[in-house]
Amino acid sequence: DKKSFNQCMAEWKLFLYNPTTREFLGRTTKSWGLILLFYLVFYGFLAALFSFTMWAMLQTLNDEVPKYRDQIPSPGLMVFPKPVTALDYSFRVSDPESYRGYVDDLTKFLKSYDLEEQKNLTACPDGALREQKGPTYTACQFPVVSLKGCSGVEDPEFGYSTGNPCILVKMNRIIGLKPQGKPRINCISKGEKTATLSTYPSNGTIDLKYFPYYGKKLHVRYLQPLVAVQVAFNTTSTGKEVTVECKIDGSPNLKT
Amino acid sequence: MYSCLDLSGHVVLFELGQLYPGITMEFGKTRGRVTPQELNPSSGPKPKRVPKMVGRRKKEKVKRKKNKANIEELKKEVVMDDHKLTLEELSRRYSVDLTKGLRPEKAQEILDRDGPNTLTPPPTTPEWVKFCKQLFGGFSILLWTGAILCFVAYGIQTYFNEEPTKDNLYLGIVLAVVVFITGCFSYYQEAKSSKIMESFKSMVPQQALVIRGGEKMQINVQNVVVGDLVEVKGGDRIPADIRLISAQGCKVDNSSLTGESEPQSRFPHFTHENLLETRNICFFSTNCVEGTARGIVIATGDSTVMGRIASLTSGLAVGQTPIATEIKHFIHIITMVAVFLGVSFFGLSLMLGYSWLKAVIFLIGIIVANVPEGLLVTVTVCLTLTAKRMAKKNCLVKNLEAVETLGSTSIICSDKTGTLTQNRMTVAHLWFDKTTYEADTSEEQTVNTFAKDSDTWFILARIAGLCNRADFKPDQETLPIAKRATTGDASESALLKFIEQSYSSVKEMREKSPKVAEIPFNSTNKYQISIHLREDSSQTHVLLMKGAPERILAFCSSYLLNGQEYSMDEEMKEAFQNAYLELGGLGERVLGFCFLNLPNTFSKGFKFNTDEVNFPMENFCFVGLISMIDPPRPAVPEAVCKCRSAGIKVIMVTGDHPITAKAIAKGVGIISEGTETAEDTTAQLKVHVRQIDSRDVKAIVVHGSDLKDMSSAQLDEILRNYTEIVFARTSPQQKLIIVEGCQRQGNVVAATGDGVNDSPALKKADIGIAMGITGSDVSKQAADMILLDDNFASIVTGVEEGRLIFDNLKKSIAYTLTSNIPEITPFLLFIILGIPLPLGTITILCIDLGTDMVPAISLAYESAESDIMKRAPRDPKNDKLVNYRLIGMAYGQIGMIQALAGFFTYFVILAENGFKPADLLGIRHDWENSYVNDLEDSYGQQWTFEQRKILEFTCQTGFFVSIVIVQWADLIICKTRRNSVFQQGMKNKILIFGILEETFLAAFLCYTPGMDMALRMYPLKIFWWLCAIPYSILIFIYDEVRKFAIRNHPGGWLERETYY
Repeated sequence: DKKSFNQCMAEWKLFLYNPTTREFLGRTTKSWGLILLFYLVFYGFLAALFSFTMWAMLQTLNDEVPKYRDQIPSPGLMVFPKPVTALDYSFRVSDPESYRGYVDDLTKFLKSYDLEEQKNLTACPDGALREQKGPTYTACQFPVVSLKGCSGVEDPEFGYSTGNPCILVKMNRIIGLKPQGKPRINCISKGEKTATLSTYPSNGTIDLKYFPYYGKKLHVRYLQPLVAVQVAFNTTSTGKEVTVECKIDGSPNLKT
Repeated sequence: MYSCLDLSGHVVLFELGQLYPGITMEFGKTRGRVTPQELNPSSGPKPKRVPKMVGRRKKEKVKRKKNKANIEELKKEVVMDDHKLTLEELSRRYSVDLTKGLRPEKAQEILDRDGPNTLTPPPTTPEWVKFCKQLFGGFSILLWTGAILCFVAYGIQTYFNEEPTKDNLYLGIVLAVVVFITGCFSYYQEAKSSKIMESFKSMVPQQALVIRGGEKMQINVQNVVVGDLVEVKGGDRIPADIRLISAQGCKVDNSSLTGESEPQSRFPHFTHENLLETRNICFFSTNCVEGTARGIVIATGDSTVMGRIASLTSGLAVGQTPIATEIKHFIHIITMVAVFLGVSFFGLSLMLGYSWLKAVIFLIGIIVANVPEGLLVTVTVCLTLTAKRMAKKNCLVKNLEAVETLGSTSIICSDKTGTLTQNRMTVAHLWFDKTTYEADTSEEQTVNTFAKDSDTWFILARIAGLCNRADFKPDQETLPIAKRATTGDASESALLKFIEQSYSSVKEMREKSPKVAEIPFNSTNKYQISIHLREDSSQTHVLLMKGAPERILAFCSSYLLNGQEYSMDEEMKEAFQNAYLELGGLGERVLGFCFLNLPNTFSKGFKFNTDEVNFPMENFCFVGLISMIDPPRPAVPEAVCKCRSAGIKVIMVTGDHPITAKAIAKGVGIISEGTETAEDTTAQLKVHVRQIDSRDVKAIVVHGSDLKDMSSAQLDEILRNYTEIVFARTSPQQKLIIVEGCQRQGNVVAATGDGVNDSPALKKADIGIAMGITGSDVSKQAADMILLDDNFASIVTGVEEGRLIFDNLKKSIAYTLTSNIPEITPFLLFIILGIPLPLGTITILCIDLGTDMVPAISLAYESAESDIMKRAPRDPKNDKLVNYRLIGMAYGQIGMIQALAGFFTYFVILAENGFKPADLLGIRHDWENSYVNDLEDSYGQQWTFEQRKILEFTCQTGFFVSIVIVQWADLIICKTRRNSVFQQGMKNKILIFGILEETFLAAFLCYTPGMDMALRMYPLKIFWWLCAIPYSILIFIYDEVRKFAIRNHPGGWLERETYY
């Protein structure tokens, strides 16, 4: 029995609002009121309960150190300028607009490494882990000049205008991480030798004095060590493209 | 959630009607074919053939339109008059010589005209079409749509290089595979049960003996033509419908046609107006059991009675099963919810600033997420399990959906013989010494309750034992007497068994008093006489006689009272009359018994001549009456009573006499004690039938001949107004009409039957029930269910199982649907709040097709909460399998608690690893960006993409485990809908196994090495398993409170809004 379109419409209309029973969508006002009230109370109760359990759970957390750190046993590396859609940078020396974004990003990133900003930080002795007992924790200065030509001090364009771009590499912060040995960031160019790489500080060394990290709350204003890589393309090479691979070396407990 | 319930999966038989739409329907036109022959008996072959061919073509063109009309015609009685014709007329009509048969060339000509003598198989649908129907029918469409949507989403993603995840591809493949497998399963099921026409084919006998041109010849049965002179003998199958012209002791077994297994004699005389009852017609594909006969073929192939029934059966369109309707309704609800959610979140995501592309992918994702993938398998398995359980209780279900149909049944149209009764004549009453005694008619026949010390009893027993041609078949000494097979007719066998049981060995009795002469029973005399030597070795004879009581009494001049002979008087005659009426009124077959001690003149060696009677035939001494009936099966009255309390109307439809039918109906409670038919009331009040207000009368016995003249409106009125109905003397077609009448009232009808004649009714009924022992193959093929023990009581246990599975399916669906909410909400919050995805596609599939499966199925083993046989049948209009209350409970209440449990675990895992809830909001953009390798957590630590993805998958594993844990509680609360779990108990061992199984499976998926690569599941800390437990307890407590309120406020608001 196929109903005609008009019949269907009439049925729908009656379902939407039925004047004889005063039903709206199949229920009277009172019925709607009751069911909505029921769900209001029910969901109100659930929300309260959920909030309570969440609150109770948050109470068990330590503000300074997360309960588990086994998901990040070793730090990853991150590069600057911040990659947007892919891990590659391309620009034309002749066109400043093409690298303005990179330069701005680097400048912004290095802002916290300004000498002005580092004024209150401790000058720590090199070469040893700097374990602290609290209650206050101090952060070590990072001499941005050690980045040489990539520090932005001498060359505010970070070498982009001369065709020798700088890339900053940093190691992720992990609370309590104590690198063994002499960690350094080792970058090599892969494939055809179209360019030579210079690493600053020399050898890409990361000083142990920046470890361990004690967390955002305790270790305020902590600065993590940086390593810069500057690319110098061979004048002879035709291609102006290079693939660079960086990894952590020299420390047995850090793997990338 | 993404699931596939293939609804067409279990639909097997109901499509047959549509599968063969073009069935040839000319069978009603038998006369049309015969008439031209009659009019032009001498006309040549050409003028006859040409118009015939034209006619046929035309018919084929209009066949479809005529289909319905022809079905109506087939339902009518067979109108034929061949049985009424004299032999000369017969010879003229078929232009055949009654001794020489047809001329061979004439036979060939007729064969060319009529085609071979076979049943036309219905036009078959190609196998691949059937397969596609299973693959793309019903719910499968929805799943395919889901799968296609997934592929579309994947296509969009790869084309625009959005989030390079393959989840949508995998999901699409899984959906397609699930549908495909279910389609194959359904196809296999259908192929198994759609062999209905094959049994018709196999019934056609191979060879027939015909006489053509005066020569006997063996020909293939398919070459037999109308007008052929054929000869059949014992053991043959009848090659066509035959009008007999001569017969020697011919008996046929019509059980394949009528279901009555007693052989019937056949002779050339016309005995009954009705073609089916007359004794001079043998029917196509029945068996000749003894004797020989010769006859003229009056119909071949599809025009035969059998062929007409076959066409009628396969031409019937059968409606949807109730469960198919329910599942359709369920799909509507699910689709509505899915589309509603999808569209509203599509709008929301656009408002939140997502791109069109993303929003479309979200829309598809949400719609697909609403599909419960596991449900199809769950429903199919639940039904299969119940079918198996029913098979153990002697109900073999051929078609899975019929399992539930039986539970919704509101009317049972039952056969009498064999189903309600034992199909075995048994002595029910004795009347001697002016007293009626009751014999034990139970199946075991252990107690005997009458005065055995009367001398009259000894004489009665001896007459019954000696004047009796029945005998036990050999080698049955170990069997109880009632179960032994006998030779001889039903009444004599009944007497034989009765005497053997309550008197002494009949064999010894017969050895002591050997029979010397006998006049066998025949329908004109209506009595049987045998003369025996007397046991006391006085060398004299005794004449024993039994027969129709009024005939016996006419021979008697004296009667026996307590062993003493008195001369017949009026008082005795009146007592006899009363007893005869009383026993006859009980629907019993009454026999009278008398004897005469022959005088010495007939001493040993006297030659009795039974043809020219040379012994006295008067002044016999009347002894008593014995009445017999085919008694009801012992469990039937209880079963009928159960049906009544379960709100199921039992209607008896029988070919038997109204009085017998009514007696059995009263005996089994179809007409309940104290209820009277109009005739009873009139007899009591001595007023005319018309004066009785028909509304006061609840019971009625309808005679088949009355039914024939009724309009469908009148039939409807009877079916509506009377609660206790018996149809007697009905024909096969009428059974179909009755079933249709009941269906018109909106009832779900079950019909039982055993003969081929019943198969149209069986097919038309919502559930056709065939008899396993006495049923013909065709009736078994047409039926949805087979009663292995032929016992009506088994139907009732079937009804109980059917009702139970409906309840349990509700529970199972409620359980399965609940986990949909904790599966959808993560995706919704992922969109709205921008948090890392709390539950992925793979984990969802692990729940739907993994951990939820066994627990959902275990609910099929749940026992009933209350006496399900004390409530009315399900109202198909209002009591739905899935209603908005069930959805409200599953989605709105329990599902929400479950979602909270999952989210709690998710937040705990993230927070304990450094990401506090507040910092997660809106983190999605960076979190999903694979180039951001220094995402900072709440403690200042920085995470690479890979690291946080592992954390995300750990959270998803945690969410998954939480769902498993809250599903424990869900499973326990789904055990009952009204009772407390403490009332119901935890006796369902499968359910406990289900809980353990899902837990171990979850642990296995979580901790097995390699699962991180295979399913992206990561090991959890033990504490994270416990996070969901408070919510599990909450679910349990909430639902116990809810049910407590429902129990204490029946009909209250909570029940109206949450009882599903």
